[in-house]
Amino acid sequence: MIPTHYFLVLSAILFTIGVLGVLTRKNGITIFMSIELMVNAVNLTFLAYARQFHQTHGLIFVFFIMAIAAAEAAVGLAIFISLFHHRDTIDVDEANLMHW
Amino acid sequence: MEFAIFFFFAAIAVIFALVVVLHRNPVVGALSLVASFFALAVMYVLLEAPFLAALQIIVYAGAIMVLFLFVIMLLNLQHVAEPATRPVQQFLGYLTAAAFGIGLIYFVLKYAVFAALPKGPFLANARVLGIDIFQAYVFPFEMVSILLLAAIVGALVMSGRSMKGGRAAIGNEVPR
Repeated sequence: MIPTHYFLVLSAILFTIGVLGVLTRKNGITIFMSIELMVNAVNLTFLAYARQFHQTHGLIFVFFIMAIAAAEAAVGLAIFISLFHHRDTIDVDEANLMHW
Repeated sequence: MEFAIFFFFAAIAVIFALVVVLHRNPVVGALSLVASFFALAVMYVLLEAPFLAALQIIVYAGAIMVLFLFVIMLLNLQHVAEPATRPVQQFLGYLTAAAFGIGLIYFVLKYAVFAALPKGPFLANARVLGIDIFQAYVFPFEMVSILLLAAIVGALVMSGRSMKGGRAAIGNEVPR
């Protein structure tokens, strides 16, 4: 059996990589993929603690997080398509107006 | 043996996650993210949650990442060169991320090292999860269904081009 903190450290590393992507990239879709990476790191933490404490609540949270990530991906990518139609770019530095 | 599997797939997950963040081409990034999610599904199996491992592959690697790839190819972004980030901001970004990661790992190793796992198998199959979802969590479950419906409507409203002379046509007349 692999101890819980191995998974927690792996999750921390993946979350940090996601933070790095959000902070250093300008391509909107890459930033969005980094956010998905962070969501998955948190899911791994939930599952590690669920096994550590023999509770199913963590697993059900992961279930709901997956559903919400699907909704988020649909709406977020629709926003990027709309932005691309208006601005011909998905560089987030260009998206500096609420209304145009 | 378990440790070998863990370290192998942990290395795969971390390396492909780095490719997502560092590679210039978003198509390569999306495919690397799929590979990273497959490695994470192996982690879920090691954590005795095979049902969620299957969901990870079906929902994340199968549905969400295909949506990403579809949008990247629809917008034809694989040929667009990303402008370089200004070096000061780039350096500050790396510095902040490194400080954050070191702090996170330090506190995990300081406070979250458990002595032992509890004895006995952890039963978390689809049957147990289904009973929990439809008893204790039935209200959040219904809320999620409403949320997904709202997301469908929102995505259609935002991504659909207006029929004739709608918002897109008005927006094009405004000087930039």
